[in-house]
Amino acid sequence: MVNFKSTQTQEAEKSVFLNRILFSSLAILLLGGLIVTRLVYLMVIETDELSLRSINNTLRTQSIPAPRGLIYDRNNQIIAENLPKFQLEMIPEQVIELENSLLNLKDLGILSVDEIPIIKGRIQKQRNYQFKSIVIKRNLNERQMARFANNRMLLKGFDIKSRLTRNYAQGEIYAHVVGYMGSISSNDYQRFDPSFYTGKEQIGKSAIEREYEHILRGIPGKQKLLVNVRGRVMDEIEKEAFESGNNIVLTLNSELQKTAYDSMEGKKGSVVAMDPRNGEILAMISVPSFDPTAISLGLSQSEFRKLSNNKKRPLFNRAIAGQYPPGSTVKPMLALGALDMGIVDSEHFHTCEGEFRLPNYSRPFGDWAVHGSVNTKRAIQASCDVYFYESAVEMGIERMSAFLKKFNLGEETKLDLGSEKAGVVPNQEWKRNNFSSKQNQNWYLGETVIAGIGQGYMLATPVQLAYATSIIANRGYAYKPHILKQINLNNSSEPLSTQSERIDHLMNIDNEYWDVVFEGMNAVVNEKRGTAYGVFPENSDIAGKTGTSQVFNMDKRSGNDVPEELKDHGLFIGFAPINDPEIVIAVIVENGGGGRVAAAPVAKQMFNKFRELGGKKVVESN
Amino acid sequence: MHQFHIDLPLLVAVLLASSISAIAIFSASNGNEAFLTSHLVRIGLSVIAMITAAQFSPLFYSRISPWLYGICLVLLIAVFFFGETRNNATRWIDIGISFQPSELLKIAMPLVVARYIASGSIPLNNANIMASLVLVLLPTALIFKQPDLGTSVLIAFSGLVIVFLSGIKKRYLFSAIILFLGCLPFIWKTIHPFQQQRVLTFLDPEKDPLGAGYHIIQSKIAIGSGGLFGKGWLNGTQGQLDFLPERTTDFIFSILAEEFGLIGVLLIILIYLFIVGRGLLIAINSDDLFSRLVASSISLTFFIYVFVNIGMTTGLLPVVGVPLPLISKGGTSSLTLMASLGILMSLQTHKRLIPR
Repeated sequence: MVNFKSTQTQEAEKSVFLNRILFSSLAILLLGGLIVTRLVYLMVIETDELSLRSINNTLRTQSIPAPRGLIYDRNNQIIAENLPKFQLEMIPEQVIELENSLLNLKDLGILSVDEIPIIKGRIQKQRNYQFKSIVIKRNLNERQMARFANNRMLLKGFDIKSRLTRNYAQGEIYAHVVGYMGSISSNDYQRFDPSFYTGKEQIGKSAIEREYEHILRGIPGKQKLLVNVRGRVMDEIEKEAFESGNNIVLTLNSELQKTAYDSMEGKKGSVVAMDPRNGEILAMISVPSFDPTAISLGLSQSEFRKLSNNKKRPLFNRAIAGQYPPGSTVKPMLALGALDMGIVDSEHFHTCEGEFRLPNYSRPFGDWAVHGSVNTKRAIQASCDVYFYESAVEMGIERMSAFLKKFNLGEETKLDLGSEKAGVVPNQEWKRNNFSSKQNQNWYLGETVIAGIGQGYMLATPVQLAYATSIIANRGYAYKPHILKQINLNNSSEPLSTQSERIDHLMNIDNEYWDVVFEGMNAVVNEKRGTAYGVFPENSDIAGKTGTSQVFNMDKRSGNDVPEELKDHGLFIGFAPINDPEIVIAVIVENGGGGRVAAAPVAKQMFNKFRELGGKKVVESN
Repeated sequence: MHQFHIDLPLLVAVLLASSISAIAIFSASNGNEAFLTSHLVRIGLSVIAMITAAQFSPLFYSRISPWLYGICLVLLIAVFFFGETRNNATRWIDIGISFQPSELLKIAMPLVVARYIASGSIPLNNANIMASLVLVLLPTALIFKQPDLGTSVLIAFSGLVIVFLSGIKKRYLFSAIILFLGCLPFIWKTIHPFQQQRVLTFLDPEKDPLGAGYHIIQSKIAIGSGGLFGKGWLNGTQGQLDFLPERTTDFIFSILAEEFGLIGVLLIILIYLFIVGRGLLIAINSDDLFSRLVASSISLTFFIYVFVNIGMTTGLLPVVGVPLPLISKGGTSSLTLMASLGILMSLQTHKRLIPR
């Protein structure tokens, strides 16, 4: 084919060609060198960074939530536990006939007609993650689970999974003191270290559950997973097991707790019982209450609104945040003050004519009865107002408030619950600080008079009254109130117990003055004309004091024609046995009428239950 | 006289590359044996095509080249009007089996241009140059319109390189280059938005790491994380966990780099350089112009394939969809490539038959 070309031409052609081939070879070496340089750059110089990016592509660290510690009462009865809740889940890529399967579930009574389109929407939304489980129905009941199990063959790709949820075995009885759980909010992360949470678990939202969150929560486990580009888990590379939370034992006694709750049924108010010998809270309830299990499972918006808008305020913990005028329950304390200050002589009888007058006051200060001739003991026993009006004027507001503060009134008890209110013990300075208009900042003598019977500006919480009562019961000292009894540490066989902390409040009072107060409080319960006489059995070894605080000044109008929300609050404080007190009780019944009719019967049931349980044995179990 | 025509050095290199291909494909398909089996069948067919192609004489190729070229042109025009469209590109035509005429042109182009130039004498006169350019650019334009930027550029290269090798004057070469650069803005406007996107992505892949830049970023991660010795066969996370897209075809080099490291890929590059060097040697040793031009065009185009593919997987070049010769999975593309290597063998072995 090329033979017609001359040799010369061929030689010329070849020399040009070889020239160009040489050039091309140089180009090849140059470009090849470029490639090799690039490869060395990527695979030697940049390899560390690119290896890291490769690892970041494929490794996911996942947390495994740790089971929360359990909560027991002092006798190891369960209060809060973790129960599995069952939910129906579906893995889309394993489902053969979605439409039919959903209809089957409807026929089995697991799904309702309305739920089907919602579920379909959810499946559609997740269509790019066919291998990822979708929750079809939460909180299955036993019947639904049984039906599902019997028809499993028809429902390929569906399965029942469990998750742990908080369950409060005794429900409403412990709601306010133990609290409840909820989803973690950003606020929670400001208080609690986020590294302890996976985000999937719930966090303590109130009371003990929140106060001891750091003890109850465990440490989540970690899982290193190999995932592919779509996030599907291919392999588990490393696993670090979780550490369960620590169990805790509370000072509360479920029997007393239940008695308090039952005896307050249908009422509003609070009962607090504590052991004056160590500060342990034995019972603490606030009514009306709520179901903490339901809240922890998650209420719907309308259910929650219904609960929080309820006029009776079931979510409000009255025991520590309810502030009430203490009324006549301050009389034993003021009597002690008057004796100690030499204002009254316990043997000296005063005459009560049913009212007390101040110069320049047109209206007299009324007593609820005409008591006639009363000494200190009788004044406590019959709750004579005039006796304490006179003492108050004599004492003056400054000395009175200083003395009441010795009983820790006007100050938080620092109970381990949080959200506690301090109450009010008014004096001139308090009034100056708390009123805006100059005129209102003045202290009037009349205000001193009514402070003498625990009315006016004075406010106290039930737990403050219980604590003050234990100072009386111990004749001057008390133990810091607490609810945590011990922590059963996971990593130790020795439980960590709360140490009782004794606080001296009033150690310089003459013992015979205490005797007068004790006699008066005993007479309240056991002697004729005692305000709680007849409520308790004859010769009860109980010291008590009723109180009635006015919600609204209605003069002498009383009885059944008064609207419920304007009725007086009934109060009762007491302790037993008198000479070796083991239990202190404070009861407040909102709008229940007087202390005698509303509060004293509740206290009686508490004392009875305490006796029935064997007194000392109750408190010293375990 | 009957002799079996085969070039042993080339055959050994091709079989070596094919073995590497099988290893890489098995890994890239996540250990799919059925996939490997069908790939081995394709390799077998391609080797048969290569050996068959080696049995025909250069004279035969010279004679059929105008016809082959003509058929390609007709088919390309047919594609233009009746072609099948897949993924927004009209490249396929159904004549019993569905195939891309542009693949056949990879063989026809060097043959026809070499024949045309060898029939005259060099250095070329202007009329010859113009005619050659028309031969090259007519089908190139049709392929460019399909659109298939990568293939059109490589086919144009396989023809133009022959014009270059036949001794076109240097000033023509420079003016052509300047003309090309001058036309770049115009070309930029003609190419499709997705092609523009590829070029922009190439310039800054990290700008859109989950979208357009994804391929190139994941490929660079795969290559770089391979390091010196690689993560080991079937142990490359980028490949095995699907982070690397198109890994049986355009990005198979990244799989090899990830699992066998720099040492492994340098070995592969050596095999490629051996094949290119062997081809150029065949060209130099050829006695006639046609054989020289065809052999050198095939070798240099082969090199450009390798360069463009590795360049694109390492981020040196924009992603243009060029497979890695002898290693990427591919039906007709590997068939035509092997056939062109068979032609190289033919050029080498038939020469010996002609006594000096």
